[in-house]
Amino acid sequence: MIEAKYESALANRSEPSNASILIREMNGRGMIDVRGAAADRKFLAAMKSVLGFDLPKVPRSSATWGDVRALWLSTDQWLITCNGTKADELSAALVAALGGLHSLVVNVSDMRAVIRLEGEGVRETVMKGTSIDLTDGDYPPGTVRRMRFAEIAALLHIVEDNVIEIYVFRSYADYVWEFLLKAARKGSEVRLFGNRG
Amino acid sequence: MGGLFYSESEDKEMTGKPYRLAASGSHIDRSKRLSFQFDGREVSGFAGDTLASAVLAQGQKLFGRSFKYHRPRGVVGLGSEEMNALVGVGTGGHLEPNLRATQVEVFNGLVAQSQNRWPSLTFDVGAINSKVSRFIPGGFYYKTFMWPQSFWKHVYEPFIRRAAGLGKAASEPDPDSYEHMHVHVDVLVVGGGLAGLTAAEAAAASGARVMLVDENPLLGGIADLTAGKVGVMYIVDHALAAAARLQSLPNVHVLCRSTVVGHYAHNYLMACERVADHDPSLLAAGAPRHRLWKIRAAQVILATGALERPIAFANNDRPGIMLASAVSGLLARQAVAMGSNGIVFTNNDNAYLTALALKKAGVGVRVVDSRLRSDGALVQRSLAEGIDVSFGSVISAVEGSQGVRAAKIAAYRKGQGRVITEKKVYCDFIAMSGGWNPVLHLWCHNGGKIKFDTVLASFRPDKHSDAIAAIGAANGTMTVSETLAEAHMAGEAAAKAVKPKAKAAKFKLPVVEEPKSAALEPLWFAPATGKYNEGNKHFIDFQNDVTVADLELAQREGYESVEHTKRYTTFGMATDQGKTSNINGLGVLSEATGKTIPEIGITTFRPPYTPYSFGSIAGALTGNLFLPVRRTPIFDWHVERGAVFEPVGQWRRAYTYPGAGEDKHASITREILSVRNKVGLLDASTLGKIEIKGPDAAEFLDRVYTNMFSTLKVGKCRYGLMMNELGFLTDDGVTVRLADDHFLMHTTSGGADRIAAHLEEWLQTEWTQYKVFVTPVTEQWAQFAIAGPKARDVMAKLDPDFDLSNEAFPHMSFKVGKLGGYPVRVFRISFSGEQSYEVATPANLGRGLWEAVLDAGTEFGIEPYGTEALHVLRAEKGYIVVGDETDGTTTPIDVGLESLVSKKKADFLGKRSLEQSYLKGPNRKQLVGLLTEDPIEVLPDGAYAVRVVKDKPPMEMIGQVTSTYMSPTLGRSIAMALIENGRSRMGETLSFPLEGGKVVKAKITDTVFYDKDGGRIHD
Amino acid sequence: MLLVTCPVCHIVGDETDFHAGGQAHVARPATTDPSNITDEQQRDYLFMRHNPRGLHFERWRCDRGCGKWFHAARDTLTMEFREFYLITDLPSAELQKQAKGPWADYFTARAKTKK
Repeated sequence: MIEAKYESALANRSEPSNASILIREMNGRGMIDVRGAAADRKFLAAMKSVLGFDLPKVPRSSATWGDVRALWLSTDQWLITCNGTKADELSAALVAALGGLHSLVVNVSDMRAVIRLEGEGVRETVMKGTSIDLTDGDYPPGTVRRMRFAEIAALLHIVEDNVIEIYVFRSYADYVWEFLLKAARKGSEVRLFGNRG
Repeated sequence: MGGLFYSESEDKEMTGKPYRLAASGSHIDRSKRLSFQFDGREVSGFAGDTLASAVLAQGQKLFGRSFKYHRPRGVVGLGSEEMNALVGVGTGGHLEPNLRATQVEVFNGLVAQSQNRWPSLTFDVGAINSKVSRFIPGGFYYKTFMWPQSFWKHVYEPFIRRAAGLGKAASEPDPDSYEHMHVHVDVLVVGGGLAGLTAAEAAAASGARVMLVDENPLLGGIADLTAGKVGVMYIVDHALAAAARLQSLPNVHVLCRSTVVGHYAHNYLMACERVADHDPSLLAAGAPRHRLWKIRAAQVILATGALERPIAFANNDRPGIMLASAVSGLLARQAVAMGSNGIVFTNNDNAYLTALALKKAGVGVRVVDSRLRSDGALVQRSLAEGIDVSFGSVISAVEGSQGVRAAKIAAYRKGQGRVITEKKVYCDFIAMSGGWNPVLHLWCHNGGKIKFDTVLASFRPDKHSDAIAAIGAANGTMTVSETLAEAHMAGEAAAKAVKPKAKAAKFKLPVVEEPKSAALEPLWFAPATGKYNEGNKHFIDFQNDVTVADLELAQREGYESVEHTKRYTTFGMATDQGKTSNINGLGVLSEATGKTIPEIGITTFRPPYTPYSFGSIAGALTGNLFLPVRRTPIFDWHVERGAVFEPVGQWRRAYTYPGAGEDKHASITREILSVRNKVGLLDASTLGKIEIKGPDAAEFLDRVYTNMFSTLKVGKCRYGLMMNELGFLTDDGVTVRLADDHFLMHTTSGGADRIAAHLEEWLQTEWTQYKVFVTPVTEQWAQFAIAGPKARDVMAKLDPDFDLSNEAFPHMSFKVGKLGGYPVRVFRISFSGEQSYEVATPANLGRGLWEAVLDAGTEFGIEPYGTEALHVLRAEKGYIVVGDETDGTTTPIDVGLESLVSKKKADFLGKRSLEQSYLKGPNRKQLVGLLTEDPIEVLPDGAYAVRVVKDKPPMEMIGQVTSTYMSPTLGRSIAMALIENGRSRMGETLSFPLEGGKVVKAKITDTVFYDKDGGRIHD
Repeated sequence: MLLVTCPVCHIVGDETDFHAGGQAHVARPATTDPSNITDEQQRDYLFMRHNPRGLHFERWRCDRGCGKWFHAARDTLTMEFREFYLITDLPSAELQKQAKGPWADYFTARAKTKK
């Protein structure tokens, strides 16, 4: 019997040494893509029965309970994150609870790489690669936003004021990692408005 | 007394050079001495010097040679309007050409060179152009370099390339880094002069996010060159106090050394920040050299000021002839006097400030004023201070070649054509002022309208459809008191538009004391005695070497539209964008045609306002970031194995794996034979994968595929074709039915994102009644093809419990399970014609399973194969590749897959279009196989078949090769081609003429070259 | 760089975060009656597009955001977006009144079928 060997997208990358913020891969995160209509009460109730909390319905928001989190992706799409070891079990539970309801649940834990940025200046660092402005007051902790980042599609989650997680498709992880190392290079910091550091 | 110097009888020649005054200089720090190189010579200066001021302070006036005539040129302007003193800064890969010496801040170790001269600045061979300039009039290039055609390549082009052009670009890669930065602001104020500072402060008072951008290192604009007081403070102190207050506000961001280069739709602006040009130690510390800001502003306020106009008089381009504001600026800021005896030549009051400043600094000065009189305060003060003023006079000519030696002053009456008498006075510099032009570039970039103002004798802003306002001199408002009021109101209004509820701070216009000015009188061109010839050129556009004579010639030759004149003469073009030349040119055209300036119109200002670096445009996206590259979960293994890669979309796929001593041809052959005779392993992770689920999923698939999917049984696979609405093939792939309402679709590698978007589009926009969800899952899975007669043995070795019998797992079926510890989805599908299993496992387990398969396959001789082997294998079987056998105008019927186009379904994408007459015509190209007469001859990809071979083109083409390979399996070449009526020409021999005259002959055959009955996939 | 607002998830973003989908309110003949379409009808549906100076109705997708298609009404002269509305909706009555060319016909036809 052969044993499965796990290797995340950025497994062979070492800690960056010349960055003004912390940059690291969050490997082993469970991710489940859920499709269902936000207007479908039965769907919402079935989701709640498994998750223990309501799916967020406000665009670009998220909800958290314990180590399970639901990120709003669209009016009929959410990304549920959890501990990677629980993803199969949780998605099976969701499928079972949703039964014959019109929905689609897919365990996509391997589809994306998650890169976590921490520290003073994370928002400005991300703004070097995207046209959105994370300092204009529209992005409190908990905000989720899909966007174009450094030429590719990415999903942004503001975890705390100075903590941002970027979800990118696995194949682009290396590219985004390199971009972030360059953008966060010491000496290239940008401090906007009152935040002059 | 100034007057003494100029008495004609004394006839004393002045040979003064620019020099540094013993005291003052608001911008320089005399305790910090700096040393740098200009044209290989060591030059010293002070912190706060520009390259222009430091070199001038050493007595050197000459900075470069002009574009066309190679005439000696010096500094003319104060800042970014400088058109002559263009220099290259830096060495090697750091070299940046065409920087304005007036903007280059000096630092220890700076290396700069003058441009457009050979071999040296003072002796320039190209200056011969100046001697023969009567033969190089406007439009010269158009008139001369026309024929014969062969002359272009060998004679004209090298001549033009050598003669034209400004600085040279660096030939090495740029070692510095650059980046972009995005920001959204409520109010963007462009320009940090008195107007901009006032507006920014007013806007910030309400709490709006305000960004103030200025191109200079210091804020204040030309407040220091402006006469008057606000309250008890000098204008400059008032401005600097406002700047200090602004910089301490938390809702204000000030960017200095940053030029807003363009204004685009929906108030999108770009500003290039020169982060480290003035201090290279920042580069070493990690700073980018330039940062390109992409700014989205709810409101824009343009406080871009005004630029002084030169005056066209004979030889007005001699080094030492400058704008009056530049003379004042050098004096006040860097304590540089342009010489010992100057003339201020003006048509307005403002330039008298320069005369007064020169007088105060102890520099000899007299004024030549084209107006008959002026009762303005500055004029009266000048007269009172004893400055010699010649009213009703112009400078009609200048003597001197590499500098000014003397000027000829002539009596002038408006409209006068030619000067009759003139007197010569010796002087060593001239400060000219033809009035001021509001800087309208940004206003005009996105379609702002402008109107002519006769008081200014210039254009000013009129209407704009964007949320943008112009204030101060940029709006043609030329007094301090009006500017303060206008700026404050604009700042407040902009903030109010963004924050309607915020309370405005109370504002009381301060008491302003400023000299009252008399009107200017337009002077486009000072007449001379002789004709326009050498020694008598009236320059309008210094940078492009366009003279009054050129513009008049263009008129005579019929270039009536100003846009035509611009292109014919090159006036107002290139990096200068007409900053100093535009209005003067229009003035000359106006006098030449008798039309008013508004009737003549104005040429279009285009971004950028001043040039900015290519590095800043590219930003961080260079080198390994130039293009996003997608890596499969097996990428690192491929690299370690020495794979050669090929791009497929943004993916890098292993093309082949050459072993030691093997070339690509050998390794590809080995890989193909391994699949045909033993077993091979392919990384197919890039294949698009889309989950489709819902009660209407089957019906939806029937709509998007040409063939039927509602009849597919659960657990079975079916190959499907997709057309667009035009009836052309766009994608193909195998789709499996996971459950009654649940499918997994495979697309081509390049089509994954496109097809997912395509499905969403039709669901959301046309068939909104369908209950179907579509979730792309391409990257969730690492997917491999295990293909070859030993494929089943490898699978069995991996996991003996997986039932692989043909009965349990026939061709075109699907299973979910485990291979050892690996969760897998296995598809028994084949793109090679061999027994084949496609195995998918979650991506993070991909590399582990890949290596496990290779381990298990060792005893069966498994070898990894790349995309080229894959292509040959499929071509041997006649399988099409969308994009090779199709070109976007190819239908399923063209490629012989009519059987996959449903006749039962009422509607599916492209169905109706296939019935359009133009797709049913008799002469469509059809896919056929080709066998060359010579079996080792491989047709080139894309080779054309012709109806009749002739000696030389044109020949009538009847089709082209779409795929062509040497087949190791068959030991001969094979090809596929789209040939007119191909399927009815079986057995016919076609001719393919190649470059060089060779003609390859090939016979039309069936497209399936190997295992025609297809038995091997079922083994 | 246009600034686009998604009427579904309400993000306001650069046009590069969106995908422009061409002219809006073009009826697909095959959806309603696949068996009775003339060559001319099909040609018009596929190829004939309106390119006015002024009011233009168009489709966009919130490509990098919520993924939803929507409609926009834009002035091609000033580039101003007049309205953003859902993909299943029609523009406001005011804009329907201002519509010209094929859009005027389309809105009139829709109004009739509603009655």
